[in-house]
Amino acid sequence: MKLVIFNGSPRYKKSNSALLTEQFLKGYNRFCPEPVPVYYLANYKQREAAAEIFKQAETVLLIFPLYTDCMPGIVKEFFENIAGESYSPAKKVGVIVQSGFPESIHAEGLERYLKKLVLRLNCEYLGTMIKGGVEGIQSMPPSMTRKLYGKFQVLGEYFAQNNSFEPGITEKFRKPYRFSRTYIVIFTLLSKTGITNFYWNGQLKKNGAFEKRFARPYLD
Amino acid sequence: MNMKITILNGDMSNGTSDLSIYIGNLARQLKENHSVDVFPLHKMNLHYCSGCWSCWWKTPGQCAKHDEAEPIFRSVINSDFIIFASPLMAGFTSSALKKTTDRLIVLLHPYIKLKNGESHHRKRYDHYPNFGLLLQRELGTDEEDIQIVNTIYDRFALNFHNERKYTRFIEFTNADEIIYEITGNTAIH
Repeated sequence: MKLVIFNGSPRYKKSNSALLTEQFLKGYNRFCPEPVPVYYLANYKQREAAAEIFKQAETVLLIFPLYTDCMPGIVKEFFENIAGESYSPAKKVGVIVQSGFPESIHAEGLERYLKKLVLRLNCEYLGTMIKGGVEGIQSMPPSMTRKLYGKFQVLGEYFAQNNSFEPGITEKFRKPYRFSRTYIVIFTLLSKTGITNFYWNGQLKKNGAFEKRFARPYLD
Repeated sequence: MNMKITILNGDMSNGTSDLSIYIGNLARQLKENHSVDVFPLHKMNLHYCSGCWSCWWKTPGQCAKHDEAEPIFRSVINSDFIIFASPLMAGFTSSALKKTTDRLIVLLHPYIKLKNGESHHRKRYDHYPNFGLLLQRELGTDEEDIQIVNTIYDRFALNFHNERKYTRFIEFTNADEIIYEITGNTAIH
């Protein structure tokens, strides 16, 4: 199995997608030691070459963040570049979608789109793994990311052996689909104290922008 | 009543496609009674959103990119109605339109609220105009493609505190019908 990974994050190498890919490959390489090429669509030259690389690959994994409950524009450009050709049905394509919001409902339309796209390309669809609640992992201490990274390593190990996503973790990652009533009640109560804005306010203050946080610069 | 209408044209051709001709004709008719901005996205210098979040925590409400997007932000947020126009390409609207809608997060506030058990960013502005989808089919477009596009744009609407009022195809809808639907469906703010 010759695996190629496309990272579709506009944040390039400083992306959460890159961090998760690194963990996935740690696990993957325990069973398939051959180095796996990772191409970044945010890099113009790599984006230009991506369609040809896709054509040659046996198995493709695409990982990207959710942008407005869909793929980022940069990934859509890639899809346009690979569409219009019919590939070998032996080519396998899987997708990992990660998002800041924890609920997987945000990716429901996108998942249907990705399945249809892969079928349109005449390739074998390996599924879409959706993992929410990922924003902020770059600044978290190792104790907070250990579990998540461990699961991505297991996913990599399983993928190396089975050429598919480990079903148990895939299922767990999809939760919550929506927030429970209990969560909504707790969040609503906490939001009245302002604590739910704590993270944003901290960043705004750090940048000296707190006082301007409600600015409406584009209003006529 | 005079309305302000923004048309984001996601045509990827050099502007001579059926879609761009259709939009030119539609805009001409609309301009008889309304104020209309048309943005040919593919011909403009527009960068991809890089997820830097400057617009949320460095220069609130303002994008850090130096390109031609600012007139689009202004037009969109001050409109009564938006038309997202695009050919279907690989089963979805064009990358030119997608990259532009990605950039519209500048119009939202970073604070989060829950709606229907889902997280969404709060409004930065009081009013977010409703929109219509004006599409051109591609070879093989089927009912499932259209449902998927509608689902994704309905999710966009949830995030942007507005509503998709319709999806129309240039192959089956004349400009008069589009004009009627805009006028009939839009609450003037």
